[in-house]
Amino acid sequence: MIDFEFRKQVMDYHMGSDIIKYCYQCSRCTDYCPVSKVTKDFYGTTGYDPRKNILNALLGYKEAIFNSDSLTIWGCTVCDTCDELCPQNIELTEIFTFLKNESIIKGEGPDFLYSQAKAIFDTAKAIPSQSAIERRRQQLDLPAVLSPNVDEIKTLLKNIGLDKKLKED
Amino acid sequence: MTEYKMFEGCTIGNRIPFIEAASRKVFEKLNIQTSQAPFSCCPDPTGMKSFDNNAWLAIGARNLCLAEEENKDIISLCNGCTNTLRGVKHQLNHDSSKKERINLELSKIGREYKGTIDVKHFVDVLKDKSDEIKNLITKHLTGLNIACHPGCHYMRPSEWMESDDPMRPMNLKEIVSLTGANVINYDVEALCCGSAVHNAYEEYGALILKEKLDAIKKAGADVICVNCPACFQQFDTQQRNLTKNFEKEYNIPILYLTELLALAMGMSPDEIGLKFHRVRLNSVIEKLGL
Ligand code: SF4
Ligand code: SF4
Repeated sequence: MIDFEFRKQVMDYHMGSDIIKYCYQCSRCTDYCPVSKVTKDFYGTTGYDPRKNILNALLGYKEAIFNSDSLTIWGCTVCDTCDELCPQNIELTEIFTFLKNESIIKGEGPDFLYSQAKAIFDTAKAIPSQSAIERRRQQLDLPAVLSPNVDEIKTLLKNIGLDKKLKED
Repeated sequence: MTEYKMFEGCTIGNRIPFIEAASRKVFEKLNIQTSQAPFSCCPDPTGMKSFDNNAWLAIGARNLCLAEEENKDIISLCNGCTNTLRGVKHQLNHDSSKKERINLELSKIGREYKGTIDVKHFVDVLKDKSDEIKNLITKHLTGLNIACHPGCHYMRPSEWMESDDPMRPMNLKEIVSLTGANVINYDVEALCCGSAVHNAYEEYGALILKEKLDAIKKAGADVICVNCPACFQQFDTQQRNLTKNFEKEYNIPILYLTELLALAMGMSPDEIGLKFHRVRLNSVIEKLGL
């Protein structure tokens, strides 16, 4: 089933506007994708496939993307190779960012991303400072890391609505 | 003299600070001056960007504001941080509606993104100082075979990184060769280390890493040189698991570019904390007679 609203969102998302419609399914993206290489079988029927994602996004086949194995969206390791090699200059990873952001809203993203976002919301750092490492920094003659303004980051993120996407741990 | 704002990033600052130690020492030798700022997480271009692109833009833009307020460029020790800060700049500078939206949020915390400063990866700063580096080499690393892994986000997407050839990177190799070491070529030099996908699908991250390491082994490397803490961690911590899971030995030592330069500039392994690496560097230290 074609989801026209989804289709419009995809078209609008790309920085070079609707350039995605020039995808001619050459499969160069998939041929050079390191994750496709280690997940696809010989006929390419299973495994991670950026070409298929672009096709389904372009046509508005929302269900084909979201109602399948989470690998469909989250297999991408964001190496940005496809962006470089696409002959039509499609920024695939921007479309994939949109798909991932939508999957997060549905609560279907990988757990580590929810914990990372929570750590940033709570401490302004993805990896909060620990006393053992602070001591090691002293041993190495390093200055202490300056503490970020956590309240400011919290306000910023709350206003954007990030707190509503977090999960309780 | 230009002074940069140092962006050490969460991983180096709060997990593997010995890399910051080597970097600061090398910068000092080269007269690269830095000062600190209370930066937050960059945030991660494979993490927060995938979670919520607007939050990625807003936090990144706020970090840029801190440097703008002092009118200083940023020097970053990490591919991910550089990629985020340059990527946020790129999106905001090329999309006025995004810039307006983000500035509206920033105004609520009393800040404004203007786009007045530049963000530099430390490799690019070092590249411009090749002559000075050459003059500072006191310990030539002759006979050491080095495989270079610049990592994805140092040069891709080329549209906003503007650093090197996106599929045939040369900068890291050129800097490493200044030390007199033997830079070896191997297949899949531009291939990812597998770090980002490893978090969600360990088995696929491991397979990508294996492909990379098999090529590096085949080429006969004594050591792998990197310029990104995420790649460093992937290589340094995952080789043991690969050895276990694939019943084949993976035990190639890793050196950060600034650690390698520190050694070549005459610093001792102890001074820069090489003992904190997981994969032991004994073979390298022996070969170099350190
Ligand atoms: S490389 Fe570009 S044009 Fe070719 S299939 Fe992939 S997205 Fe479409
Ligand atoms: S960015 Fe993602 S989809 Fe594109 S080549 Fe890399 S892993 Fe594959």
